[in-house]
Amino acid sequence: MKYLDLAMNAATSLGAEYADIRIQKTTDEVIYLQNLSLKHVHNGIKHGYGIRVFKDGAWGFAHNNVFSDEAVLATVEKAAKIAELSATVNKKKKLRLAPERSYIASYKTPVQIDPFEVPLAEKVELMMEVNRTMMAYEGIRRANFYLIMHKDEKLFASTLGTRLDITYQFIDPMVTATAVSDTDSQSRTFDEGGRATGWEWVLSLDLIDKAKQIAEEALIKVKADTLGPEERRTLILDPNHLGLTMHESVGHPTELDRVLGWEADFAGVSFATPEKLKNFRYGSEIVNFVGDNTLAEGLATMGFDDDGVPGQKWHIIKDGILNEYGSTRDTAMEIGLNYSRGCNRATYYYDQPINRIPNLYLLPGTKPLTPGELIADTEDGVYIQGRGSFSIDQHRVNFQFGGDFFWEIKNGKLHRPLKKILYKSCNPEFWNSCDAICDERFWRPFGVVNCGKGQPSQTARMTHGSAPARFRNIRVGGSQ
Amino acid sequence: MNIEKIEQYIKDHCTADDYTLVADLDESHETRFAQNGITQHIAGPKVSIKLRVSFGAKSGSCEINQADEENLDFMIKTAEAIARMAPEDPEHMPSPQEVDVPKTQNYSEATVALEPKAMVDIVQKSIDKAIAQDAMVSGMCERHISKNWMLSKSGFCGHDIHSSFGHSMTLKKGEVETKVSYEAKDFAGFNLEQEFDRLSSQATALADMHSFDPCKIPVILRPEALQELIWFLAWGLNRRQADEGLSPFSGLLGKPCFGEKFSLLSTLKRPEMIAPGYSYEGVPARETTWVEAGILKNMETNRYWAQKIGQEPKRIFNFYIPGADSTEEEMMKMVPRGLIINRFWYIRHVDMKRGELTGMTRDGVLYFEDGKVRHAVNNLRFNEIPQEMTQRILALGKEKLCSTHAIVPTILADDFNFVDKTSF
Repeated sequence: MKYLDLAMNAATSLGAEYADIRIQKTTDEVIYLQNLSLKHVHNGIKHGYGIRVFKDGAWGFAHNNVFSDEAVLATVEKAAKIAELSATVNKKKKLRLAPERSYIASYKTPVQIDPFEVPLAEKVELMMEVNRTMMAYEGIRRANFYLIMHKDEKLFASTLGTRLDITYQFIDPMVTATAVSDTDSQSRTFDEGGRATGWEWVLSLDLIDKAKQIAEEALIKVKADTLGPEERRTLILDPNHLGLTMHESVGHPTELDRVLGWEADFAGVSFATPEKLKNFRYGSEIVNFVGDNTLAEGLATMGFDDDGVPGQKWHIIKDGILNEYGSTRDTAMEIGLNYSRGCNRATYYYDQPINRIPNLYLLPGTKPLTPGELIADTEDGVYIQGRGSFSIDQHRVNFQFGGDFFWEIKNGKLHRPLKKILYKSCNPEFWNSCDAICDERFWRPFGVVNCGKGQPSQTARMTHGSAPARFRNIRVGGSQ
Repeated sequence: MNIEKIEQYIKDHCTADDYTLVADLDESHETRFAQNGITQHIAGPKVSIKLRVSFGAKSGSCEINQADEENLDFMIKTAEAIARMAPEDPEHMPSPQEVDVPKTQNYSEATVALEPKAMVDIVQKSIDKAIAQDAMVSGMCERHISKNWMLSKSGFCGHDIHSSFGHSMTLKKGEVETKVSYEAKDFAGFNLEQEFDRLSSQATALADMHSFDPCKIPVILRPEALQELIWFLAWGLNRRQADEGLSPFSGLLGKPCFGEKFSLLSTLKRPEMIAPGYSYEGVPARETTWVEAGILKNMETNRYWAQKIGQEPKRIFNFYIPGADSTEEEMMKMVPRGLIINRFWYIRHVDMKRGELTGMTRDGVLYFEDGKVRHAVNNLRFNEIPQEMTQRILALGKEKLCSTHAIVPTILADDFNFVDKTSF
């Protein structure tokens, strides 16, 4: 597209040390069904471009939705002017960009059936059937089904000579059943958090069967007991639940911008500071976390980040030791790294990219271990499935998590269902208490499609994964 | 963006039985700084044009961000195609009709006139002040001018302009971290000297840090802290959720489920706050008392549910919690000991049915005893039910504008339930 060269030539002539343009068209289709009432069927397009100019150690970012030579040139000038203004402040605090080579490349999310091409009637009929299945259960008061489809078509060019053509998409079905009793209401949700794939994934999920399961479990949950006061107990966490726990307690603390204090005013900082690299025991020896923006169907797998850096795979925690961060070109140099791990991502064309969590997962255990064997090996504990309440402090140390469904474990067996369970722990105690992880046969990926961060706020996506794992001596109890 | 041209195009080309057109234009300038340097600097317009159409009880919507005829045509055809394919919605509502929308002044000329250079100067001065104290400052200086138009085939016509200016600063000095933020529609009310003095004063007060174990204890919640709890409380103030047994307020309309010192309103009478004239459903803003002296008087009700239960639709469009005259000094003398909370962080629901929340303190907790601040303490986690907390309010301070949409006082509440602590 002519605007790529036009913008980069203009930025160079204005004295940019580096510049890039990202022309991005984002298409979202959201369908929301509640109790057989189609609340929302929406198709939205955001199409425009964002131009970054790096000059004299500072960024300027300007965006526009008008496609013309004049508008593109005016936007480049605005970005350059803003960079110059920023530079007046950054005289003693100049940013630097990690070296990167140029790429001419394209990437397309592998999709067999594009969900945007599936007739709306077909999608809605499946959703209605799932809704009807849940509503058929007496006591289910509310049945929800959200279906989110998202596609980004990006053209990227930089003054390094990089030219990228990227089409990225994901789909996320989320189904919830809510049961109401005389004294309580409880929900159970089927939500794998989205995948970068097509409609074929939704068809493979057997959502009618899942609807029956969550409706029945919601009815069990609303009548279930809770635990008494908080005690030190053993926890077994399923991969879906662990996806959120690792997101909050490993993913965010190892974003290099937080480590550097760039999020200090809003999202917070990190306890995992640079002097801890290669020596800090973050978890037990069986805890290995990998950042992997090449993961098949991963929500952060898009070929290249918005710095034009290719997707990579690296250890963030290795044998329990803090190994490396997720970084960007402008954060890496601050700790003396001369390369970025490719974690700079923006949500829409009008967002300046920021340091985001990559696809991040816990490697499975190396010895054969099934979930059944793990439970059988646990005398007394709680098994948590799915995601619930979550809260963590701004240094990413102290946290409290709930869940979506709970079982008490007694004498190596699932003893009784529970509800309103919370556990409290902190870093690094929690990951150091991990004493068993099931093997690779039970490793499952789960996505996060709504990771909020930044000012102005942006929403990013990434995939997490694990096998069921056990944690000893954690404070677990019922809510108030 | 020429809204008249867009409206005319929709009128001429939309074949649906009914439609609602909503257009937004936001002009923003955002300067983000961290650790005494600028890390992000963003400017540009954001445009949204959304059309919702219906054929009988079948509806669909489409949103674009470009106003040329080709895109408008795409929007109309896409929304109509969705509506034709969609099943009939048993809860379908026609587009809003012509209605008197209150005239509200939601922008200030001073904010509109603010130039990027002036914003960078504010950032530079903030950094200079931090450096003078051998400290690091991080924050965000932002200005937004937002225009909204809403038009329907049934005759609704609304137009609103909001302005907002925000400048937040988090100071890191040694181990101390604390924050102040100014957020208002009017830049003219901003005084950097005053804001930084407040920041410095908070930092000084936090220098002497002691370990403190969680317990139930009286708290003085400063307005920024109370505001954050109230936003979450508001999620439960939904009439349909209550009627369907899903919220803490099921069956409690007209009953005293809050403390008698606590009232909560949405108001058009406080010009410092933004009061949008109408909602996304086309419901005009009306003076509404949600809680009066502890009695739950009203709950937010959308058009469909209002029609079903024979009520007027109601919406929360801003928060006003009337205060009283107690000062922090007086509050500290009302209880033997307690904590002063600047802000909360990462609040989430623990139990939607009971309205139980969890969250952390942030940016400074002070311990007081015998009427005086003694020292700072570590941050704490709470698990608390806000409506029950209001029953334990012992005193109210003067109310304060603490964001564009909230005027909230300081409160003294007994037995706030802290359950865990951090190491910092």
